[in-house]
Amino acid sequence: MGYTLDFGAVLTGEHLRWLLSGLRVTLELTASSWILAFIVGILLVLLRNSGSKLAEIGVAAYVEVHQNVPLLVQILFWYFAMPELLPEPARIWLNERNSEFILVMLALAFCFAAYISEALRSGLRAIPRTQHEAGRALGFGYLSTMRHIVIPQAFRAAMPPLVNYSLLFFKNTSLAMAIGVHELTTQTRQIENDTFRTFEAFAVATAIYLAISFLIMAAGAWLERRFTQEKR
Amino acid sequence: MVDILREYWLLFLVGQYPNGPLGGLTATILVAVAGLLLSLPCALILALARVSPYRPVRIAAAAIVHTVRGMPFLMMIFWCYFALPLLVGRPLDGFVTLVGALVLYESAYLAEVIRAGIEALPPGQYEAGRALGLDYCRTMTRVVLPQALFNSMPSLLSQFVSLIKETSLGYVISVNEFTFAAAQVNNQLLTKPVQVFSILALTFFILCFSLTQTARALERAILRKRAGTPESQILSTEADA
Amino acid sequence: MIFIENVDKYYGPYRVLARINAHVARGEVVVVCGPSGSGKTTLIRTINKLEPIRSGRVVVNGHDIHAPKADINRLRREIGFVFQQFNLFPHMTVLNNITLAPRELRKIPREQAEDEARALLKRVGLADKADAYPAQLSGGQSQRVAIARALAMSPQVILFDEPTSALDPEMVGEVLAVMRDLAGSGITMVCVTHEMGFAREVADRVWFMDGGVILENAPPEQFFTTPEHPRAQRFLSELRR
Repeated sequence: MGYTLDFGAVLTGEHLRWLLSGLRVTLELTASSWILAFIVGILLVLLRNSGSKLAEIGVAAYVEVHQNVPLLVQILFWYFAMPELLPEPARIWLNERNSEFILVMLALAFCFAAYISEALRSGLRAIPRTQHEAGRALGFGYLSTMRHIVIPQAFRAAMPPLVNYSLLFFKNTSLAMAIGVHELTTQTRQIENDTFRTFEAFAVATAIYLAISFLIMAAGAWLERRFTQEKR
Repeated sequence: MVDILREYWLLFLVGQYPNGPLGGLTATILVAVAGLLLSLPCALILALARVSPYRPVRIAAAAIVHTVRGMPFLMMIFWCYFALPLLVGRPLDGFVTLVGALVLYESAYLAEVIRAGIEALPPGQYEAGRALGLDYCRTMTRVVLPQALFNSMPSLLSQFVSLIKETSLGYVISVNEFTFAAAQVNNQLLTKPVQVFSILALTFFILCFSLTQTARALERAILRKRAGTPESQILSTEADA
Repeated sequence: MIFIENVDKYYGPYRVLARINAHVARGEVVVVCGPSGSGKTTLIRTINKLEPIRSGRVVVNGHDIHAPKADINRLRREIGFVFQQFNLFPHMTVLNNITLAPRELRKIPREQAEDEARALLKRVGLADKADAYPAQLSGGQSQRVAIARALAMSPQVILFDEPTSALDPEMVGEVLAVMRDLAGSGITMVCVTHEMGFAREVADRVWFMDGGVILENAPPEQFFTTPEHPRAQRFLSELRR
């Protein structure tokens, strides 16, 4: 093929800075949407269990919508359509800041929240009623029973899907490229355009994604083990 | 919204056809079906490799699956975009790239679904086949796989829904599928993004939601039919983004 | 017929079978009994290589079962195995469960295989269940089908691994009746069981195992009235309580 590998072009100087800034944006995006997603996800679960039929249906609809519409479409909707729906002051506030980042972060967070709420819900459902009963029989009130007996077990049961979804949404930050956020994949393409070192650029980016994916899975496995030991 | 539909329905449905390749929603469905049909056999082979009695085969298969699952689908699309034409020897249409990326990516995920189905079977089934004198191949094809694939159907259908959602990434490489077509309509109209993207979202929702509900109904039907079979063998539906 | 010579087996550091030496003559019915964890199930599973061995030999009908070059699939056709959990194939009818191996392995044509299968079903008292699915059968019926399935290959010897232990008490009798009938027909049988009444009536020899060793090897009249080994004596006195 007459093509010599040259990782140096990709990993030095200006290109390295591009790469690292892309990585930074990816991580910022992941972290911020993850935190927001968990908050919203837990709220959704609480709403669903609140007893109100309307809340139950509302949350169910929320979950179904976010799970059956492609994430890219949701991102495009947030970026193109949502600003039209927001009041003027909000629009100005967004435009003053990094609106692309904020909007894609919101899109990721609200989609992820739906999956989190489902994982938590099935975790709760996995705990048999008898655990509740055992707690109450011992004299714990409703909230105490939840706090000491049910929720820790539910969380443990929900962990594998939660780790899986975390991994999924970390990878999905790459979709931010579609609206021009300079995360890792965007930067990789920039580098590739500049150096014509297509293979090296993508190899490095893939390696970075793989490394972080591996870290997330390892963290998940460690957490699962820790929780299992506590149960003894 | 209805006016937009009435005016642009052809663009949504078939893209630039006949002035260009078949596009729009039709293209999305064709790409998804092609992706599924081509990845199922690959997934089956990969799944069998994952549970193979030969250690090097198992390790190689695990490496492939973990690598594919560790990278974003967008990255896979770019790899195919650049590498597939080189491998084949001539430039490739965006659609081919998209289908290729889907097959490579989804084979890994489908393989894991099938593998879970195989491993969820009681080991006694495999042993009973071998004890009768059936060799490994025959035991897998006559005893293990029919049961594993049947039990995996809800999960496989669920993965197909993910596949359909993934076709939307054709937008990023300018493949004229449904999302791209919607973006084109938006570019023409400019002042009605809410309506245009709502049409896009709503259509996907109807398509994917009906398939998801079918998968759930299928799951319930399988549980009912196999009244004697423990629930743990039936894999529950878990959607991907 | 079956020669077990100096067989040793380990699970990690645990020695589950220790220098087993035993012999089953053609047409003999041997019952293997003993407390849980004694290694009796492991021993019987080494006879058709469902479990490998660390050292020693198992020779069935003149063939070394554990030899590396042995065509184990061929050899298993001559050895029938009945599992504690029946392990019927749930995705096939009773008839197909029984005819699968004869048709695939002995190349017996479908009609003939089905006729022979129906004859076997009649013999085990389930002539009307040919087109039923395993999920529709009771435990006792399932096990009788499993026995018919093992007999369909006309094996030289049948191995039973606690065939009645997973059954509700009221169904044990029907399975033991079939086994009694088999024993009377002159086929070689090795049976791991807790059913001492069956052993007394039908066995030619009883092997008592504990700790991976055959501690006592005697005809039932001798074993049940005057056991030699103290462990055997203790085992029998526990049973009498």
